[in-house]
Amino acid sequence: MRGTGRPVIERTRMGEYGANGDTGEGAGAPGQVAMVFDLNKCMGCQTCSVACKVLWTREEGEDHQWWMSVNTQPGLGTPKGWEEMGGGWLDGQPVPGHQPGRAEFGGGWDFNYQEVFYGGTGSSTHLRPIDHGDGNTRWGMNWDEDQGGGEYPNSYYFYLPRLCNHCTHPVCVSACPSGAMYKRHEDGVVLRDESACQGARFCMEACPYKKIYFNYARNVAQHCIMCFPRLEAGVAPACARQCPGRLVFVGSADDDESPIHKLVHQWEVALPLHPEFGTGPNIFYVPPLSPSRLHEDLSIDEETPRIPPEYLESLFGPKVHAALDTMRRELARVRAGGQSELLDTLIVYHWNDLFGRYTTDPATLDRSPGRVPVRFGRSPSTPTTS
Amino acid sequence: MVELAPPGGLPGTAAGVTEDAYRFRWSWDRVTWGTHCLNCLAGCPYRVFTRGGEVAFEEQGGTIDPVAGGVPDLNPAGCQKGSAWSVQLQSEDRVLHPLRRVGERGGGRWEEISWDDALTEIADSILDAIDGDGPESVVFEESVEGGLLSQAPFLRLAALLGAVTLDANGLVNDLPVGQHLTFGKFSCASTADDTFLADVLLLWHANPAYTSIPYFHFIAEARYRGAKVVAIAPDYNASAVGSDLFVPVRPGTDAALALAVCRVLVDEDLWDRDFVATQTDLPLLVRADNGRYLRQRDLQRGGDEETFYLWDEADGLRTAPRATLDLGALRPALSGTWSVELADGTPVEVTPVADLMRRMLGGYAPEDAAAVCGVPASTIETLARMVAGKRCKILEGFNAPKYFHGDLMERSMCLLLALTGNWGRPGTGIQGLALGGLDGYLLFSMKTKKGVEEAARVLDGIERAMQTMRERDPEATDEMLGTQLLSLATSSGTTAPPAFFNYHHAGYRETWNRREWSDPTMTRSFDDYLGDAVRRGWWGGVARPGASTPPRVFFSVGTNPLRRARGGRAKLLDNLWPQLDKIVVVDFRMSATALHADIVLPAAMQYERVNVQYPITHMLRLSFSDAATPPRGESRTEWDTFAALARVIAERAAARGMHEYVDARRQTRHVDRLGDDFTVGGDFADEEIVLDEWVRDSADAGTLPQGSTIETLRRDGSIRFTGLGTFAPGLSVATSVRPDEVMTAFRWHVEEKLPFPTLTRRAQFYIDHPWFLEAGEQLPVHKEPPRMGGDWPLALTSGHSRWTVHSIGMGNRHLLGTHRGRPLVILSEADAAARGVVDGDQVRVANDHGFFEAMARVTPRVRPGQVIVYNGFEPYMFPRWEGANEVEPGMVKWLHLVGKYGHLRYLPFGWQPVPADRAVFVEVTRVEDQGEGTDVAAGVAAGAAGEERG
Repeated sequence: MRGTGRPVIERTRMGEYGANGDTGEGAGAPGQVAMVFDLNKCMGCQTCSVACKVLWTREEGEDHQWWMSVNTQPGLGTPKGWEEMGGGWLDGQPVPGHQPGRAEFGGGWDFNYQEVFYGGTGSSTHLRPIDHGDGNTRWGMNWDEDQGGGEYPNSYYFYLPRLCNHCTHPVCVSACPSGAMYKRHEDGVVLRDESACQGARFCMEACPYKKIYFNYARNVAQHCIMCFPRLEAGVAPACARQCPGRLVFVGSADDDESPIHKLVHQWEVALPLHPEFGTGPNIFYVPPLSPSRLHEDLSIDEETPRIPPEYLESLFGPKVHAALDTMRRELARVRAGGQSELLDTLIVYHWNDLFGRYTTDPATLDRSPGRVPVRFGRSPSTPTTS
Repeated sequence: MVELAPPGGLPGTAAGVTEDAYRFRWSWDRVTWGTHCLNCLAGCPYRVFTRGGEVAFEEQGGTIDPVAGGVPDLNPAGCQKGSAWSVQLQSEDRVLHPLRRVGERGGGRWEEISWDDALTEIADSILDAIDGDGPESVVFEESVEGGLLSQAPFLRLAALLGAVTLDANGLVNDLPVGQHLTFGKFSCASTADDTFLADVLLLWHANPAYTSIPYFHFIAEARYRGAKVVAIAPDYNASAVGSDLFVPVRPGTDAALALAVCRVLVDEDLWDRDFVATQTDLPLLVRADNGRYLRQRDLQRGGDEETFYLWDEADGLRTAPRATLDLGALRPALSGTWSVELADGTPVEVTPVADLMRRMLGGYAPEDAAAVCGVPASTIETLARMVAGKRCKILEGFNAPKYFHGDLMERSMCLLLALTGNWGRPGTGIQGLALGGLDGYLLFSMKTKKGVEEAARVLDGIERAMQTMRERDPEATDEMLGTQLLSLATSSGTTAPPAFFNYHHAGYRETWNRREWSDPTMTRSFDDYLGDAVRRGWWGGVARPGASTPPRVFFSVGTNPLRRARGGRAKLLDNLWPQLDKIVVVDFRMSATALHADIVLPAAMQYERVNVQYPITHMLRLSFSDAATPPRGESRTEWDTFAALARVIAERAAARGMHEYVDARRQTRHVDRLGDDFTVGGDFADEEIVLDEWVRDSADAGTLPQGSTIETLRRDGSIRFTGLGTFAPGLSVATSVRPDEVMTAFRWHVEEKLPFPTLTRRAQFYIDHPWFLEAGEQLPVHKEPPRMGGDWPLALTSGHSRWTVHSIGMGNRHLLGTHRGRPLVILSEADAAARGVVDGDQVRVANDHGFFEAMARVTPRVRPGQVIVYNGFEPYMFPRWEGANEVEPGMVKWLHLVGKYGHLRYLPFGWQPVPADRAVFVEVTRVEDQGEGTDVAAGVAAGAAGEERG
């Protein structure tokens, strides 16, 4: 279901990144960095989200920005109802999209700490998010956490970590009227020159994943930069390297030896989210298995998965069925005492095997501010050095 | 080292400007190690990156070496709380200056005062209290929050004063009572990576996706290795999401489920007879006439009280070996009835526990149990067949023992493991918590001066004491001797189980005597049982301060009783608070308790000081937290705070001519030397020196690699223990640490047949104490949860949240942003609909004990009839500061007052009464005024339920 009747992107540049008009899968940039998230290992802890937040979005205007976020599926997610907001490509044409506003993102709350602790009103005042009148205290990046769907005891849900897909056909880049956005050749990371960004927010309308935020303080859009300064130094992105669930693979889908290539192309168990959006995402997901359903008398129904396959198809496309069949077949194999190269890959015996060529320990780097290449621009604002 | 890429983006764009600014954000000029010393006890090694003298961010180290081949490593550990600690440093709930209350307690008016003034005022209050009512009127809450260097200083001061410290485990009720009843200890946990080796994982009373984030991956990885993962819980929780089978169970009926599985194992002859004959009390003989074990003193005058019998299939009545679990040539019968002659010539019938168990299991046919626990018979049979013959591990949190009858649940779960031979081998056992390894810390309080020679002297003394005890009881294992030593140390120490304090001084007596909230098998009032227990000396020397000693000065160092106390904040404010001359909170943040204190002293946080946390065996590592920056504001480390307080007390004592006093244990306390005694004449001037001492002494004791010092720790950040040490906590894991193996608990019991530290020296399922017999709980059985809180329709379960460790993290606005940022009452769709509640509504939760209000979350994942409110939200996040603990009466189970029965005797962190807070009964109603400013509504309309307090 795509959004209709919403503001139309008026200025679209169908430049070098135009849609391929098919499944949304594309060749990508020569050195395109890709990621695979194994949803069977995700516990929804938000360590990836927090790692990203702490590193990149703690300054003024960035409070509500969660470039990385994890949502409970099914759910409305962040921004609220994003899957219905349009954007992306269809048959080579950009799809009209809605620009999510402050209330739809929610979050970024201030709290009345001072009043509660020192205001002299005692227990007549309690701590709560301060409502600035923009409705943002009634939604947030994880508002519908662990709500899910189904009907007890056949309730179902799972966790979906989302970040910018650094698409092969980034419709945001095409939509930018200022030419501020670009896709780096060396690693395929989609970036924005914030000094050129005029705050038109067409990128936000165009992005079908609604993973672009607006910085109200600086009047620029911002989104996940895939930790490119880390990639440049051979270090995996913070969301991946800090994931306690060990479920985020980083690397190139084109390298035949990489786990990502094997998961995406060889075993075909890692799929893009909403391939029908047509932008060629470079973030892939191993879809979730689920516990058996229970019959009406509560006995175990071995045959029926708890998560409706059609729901998963709505997220990951029709290839999800074959992917889950493969996973189930391999699980049956190991449970019968056999070996599975696929499952051994997903186990990840050595943590650093997740990260391809990005295995450098950041603590071994000299990143003193004087050594880091810096030309102070007007954006984003830079912390003061000693 | 990797060269940095050249600056700039694509040629011909201005993008380099932005790119460089982001590159700058990922820069630093100093890297130190850090960990957060929270009460998760995880100790995840982090790197802390500072820039320009401020902590910029942190990230997991990822340098933990693999342990065993073919087993995933422990990297990167960590969670969102640890990864946001740098935010916490700057958070708005941080306390940066000593504060003194102005106006009434809790009124929210403060003045900043100097450290000198604060310490002088506190010292005078302490001296007044000692003068008037003795040092036991000075009471400290123990905790493990904040790390060992936050705890050791006040424990040291308390010990020097002869004050009372309330047992941390009795306060937070993380005591697996059923494990203690069965094994004589609760340290049954293996390393987290042992999980990977299981064939069947039962997530039972555990929600590791919330509470064990650093280790959760082993569950998912075990599943990929071929393990079956089964989640047993009332609600479809976040951990069930990753399971193969979700078994929904009615809250509080897990014992019925476990026993029905046991019944199937026995009926289908799937049980491991050799294992239970060797490891457990199932072959021991019980008298038919009185239900007591057959003891030697029954058979001969002057016979031993603790010698038990079994029936050998060839030779009849034989003594059960006590020195070993090895049965040798014995072939004990697991079924039969025989007659033996008592000392006075009377014949009595005896039968093995196994037969009594079978008789008990007769009441748990799958169909019958299904009617109780809501799990169909077919699933019960499936579970039994799934577990039989497989390596099965139960991942248990501290949830079960928080039910009133949680001990019965745990004993039943342990029985399931016993019948399937599931402990002491890799991939088996019950995973709760085990402590151990840092012997230097345990030695510290016994040292009278600095240095390894002094440590050697103390260790020699311990060894001599053990030798003496060994001669007295040659059949005792080192574990038992270590436990005896701990028991001796406890009787002369400061630690006291808080139940008695709560009973006498905090207003719980009336609550605990409410029969309708307790178990119907009680034949007498709670008062009667407690009086009986005290009269019999079961709690001699530890039930302190006594009823006649009023508490006058109360210290909370990193604890938060007003948030935590089952029984509610109001209970303490109404009963304990008015008795106290001075309430002192030492914390880095404004907790609910700090808001009601007289003086708040600002503590330095991790990253601003050195620290380590009490090590648990999950990672089996000691992780170091370094000082990346100086403490913010006027905050100080606890070592500095309490060393200074000791000095000021000595000065103020001298000024009032007070030089010494005799404490409640008749020890003379030289209060005028307190400052010197605290630092041992300046030897232990600061926490760096103290930590170095702990590390060196641990290396010397063989629990850390030789040559370890604070500097090796500072370099490596985290070190794997090489042993679990010579003290009771480590010894009770009953296993050896090997460098290239996962560590599995209880291997000594299985491989070396070392006996258990129980009355019968076997894993003990039959407790023949008269009170247990009276209650019908000699064997594990199912009992309905009593109607705690009154006869209301919904069962409130709770548990630890995903978002915080207790209330730490509630002041971190970015962490608050990862959830709804306010307390939640999580309801099933059916119950919400029946009450006209929709998601996001403000609702009132009430019962006969109290009420609170919070936002409703409505979800199909919750079982109809169940309500969940996760712990951790500060009372001041609720209207009128009425937090979720207001509906928890905090009942304790009377049987846990038993003492002086084999292994049922008080030990720190161990056997003692702890309050229950699961399956509290409530009603939920929609609050009429849906504005968020319901504060002023001031709890008038009582909702559907009555209230004890207005």
